[in-house]
Amino acid sequence: MKNLLLLLRRQFLAYFRAPLGYAVIIVFLVISGFSFCRLLSQSVTEQIQVGDLLFGSAYFWLMFLVTIALITMPLFAEERHSGTIETLLTAPVTDLQVVLAKFAAAFAFIIVMLLPTLAYTAIIYMFHADAGQFSFRPVITGYFIVLLIGAFYTAFGLLMSSLTASMVVSAILCFIGMSMTFLAENLQYALRNAWLERMLAQISSIQHIIDFSHGILDSQAVVFYLSGTILFLYLAVKSLESRLWR
Amino acid sequence: MKDKRIIIKVDNLTKRFSSGVAVDGISFEVQRGEMLGLLGPNGAGKTTTLRIIAGYLAATDGSVKIDGLDVLERSHDVRKKIGYLPEHVPLYPEMRVDEYLQFRARLKDLSRRRLRARLDEVKSLCGLHKVAGRIIGRLSRGYHQRIGLADALINEPELLILDEPTIGLDPNQIRTIRELVKTLGQKHTVVLSTHYLSEAEMLCERVLILNHGRIVASDSPSVLTGLLRNKNIIVAEIGGPHAEVSAALRGLPGVTGVMAGPCAGAENNSAGEWNCYTLECGMDADPRGDIFALAARHGWTLRELKMEPRKLEDAFAEITGHVEMDLK
Repeated sequence: MKNLLLLLRRQFLAYFRAPLGYAVIIVFLVISGFSFCRLLSQSVTEQIQVGDLLFGSAYFWLMFLVTIALITMPLFAEERHSGTIETLLTAPVTDLQVVLAKFAAAFAFIIVMLLPTLAYTAIIYMFHADAGQFSFRPVITGYFIVLLIGAFYTAFGLLMSSLTASMVVSAILCFIGMSMTFLAENLQYALRNAWLERMLAQISSIQHIIDFSHGILDSQAVVFYLSGTILFLYLAVKSLESRLWR
Repeated sequence: MKDKRIIIKVDNLTKRFSSGVAVDGISFEVQRGEMLGLLGPNGAGKTTTLRIIAGYLAATDGSVKIDGLDVLERSHDVRKKIGYLPEHVPLYPEMRVDEYLQFRARLKDLSRRRLRARLDEVKSLCGLHKVAGRIIGRLSRGYHQRIGLADALINEPELLILDEPTIGLDPNQIRTIRELVKTLGQKHTVVLSTHYLSEAEMLCERVLILNHGRIVASDSPSVLTGLLRNKNIIVAEIGGPHAEVSAALRGLPGVTGVMAGPCAGAENNSAGEWNCYTLECGMDADPRGDIFALAARHGWTLRELKMEPRKLEDAFAEITGHVEMDLK
């Protein structure tokens, strides 16, 4: 546990000692903020649900995925590139501790990045407060799916980063993989196969986001993202161990 | 049965990569307190060997035991006994020196209580007090090397593994680091790799020369230097009055240098004490017959007389190059 916290702390602080961390947060907040403003002004003339105001923007999700690709790319690729992986993995720590610490550091970064977006909820609440009809449920389930998807893709990005010594390659692989699952639903029109269609619909993030941001807690999706996260982290441990038998 | 004196036991170590064989069935042992050098050109298998000892890579075949513990099976215990400085000294450039050393010390299970005192010790030893608060990325290569050494030392490991500790440094920095490594050799067992024969000569008691993943020679640096300088090296163990023997050997035709040292198990004999003489002579000189005659004439006992096989020149054109350079 001590090792895990030490490693987590180092990785987390490293984000804020380079321009990358600040740049990512600023760009994410500016773009998702603009898109929120636009939706908010639209909601004056037409009825838009709370969940859609917060999580219904394609810009929000695009920036979210880009962010994940950028913050997971250094996790292992940078250590491999600079060689620090060697001092790290010859210290008395286990590969599992290293993987979990890095995952937790990236996930903590995402939480820090999302914290300011709570202000959007506050703004909507102020608008709704008089009507007394504000429901927190879609906000909570909405943030829940954001965190689930965040964990899932962070674990995926971490796995990609463990496969290469190039941060650019890691970010590209991560982004390709994320877009393919995120937009999986759209592939079904090309495939025309009933079984595949059902499967793709299950793993497509878009439907999950729509459900959760309307307050529907779909346990199947929860299981899917959590087990996916665990699978990717397990594979990342194996990928680190592969240095021993390759 | 565990031999208390042996800290590293490498047995038939082989490492194959998809690109070829890096280490090809090497075996050696390192005694506690010894300073061993691995010498060889680039691609000889030095780094791979050290990485396997440090537990970063696993061997394809054979085994490495540290203090009797297998480096793979007991990886965690073994890591605590080793201070490892990889080639090119990887560090986190965004951290401050103190912060980095603290991080590494805690990672290596140094207790908080011990930490402060130990940090002070390694900082004075490595000359890091002046830069303790500086950001690592802004410091020179020489300081990086010292930080790497300080990290390797921080948990007081018995065994230090240093991969090319002076590569890429300027002559001044090289001198400082060599002095430092020499000091460390008094308290720790050190295994270091280098491709400078002069460095091995200055630091190590024993040198293994690696080429294409095999050990091509293992001896004291002085013998190896002679071999590489295209000289014949004769080793003779003679029991007799040291000063007289020494002078007589020097007087033999073709002999250009004589070094004397105690032999293994140096007990007294009737003619005086035993000594092991290493003679340097010209390429075409072979004074072995003369040595025998000399001993017979004076009534000294001759226990061993051999010419070191010369097998290095071809394999070590590169090292020889360095030797010539270093000698100037």
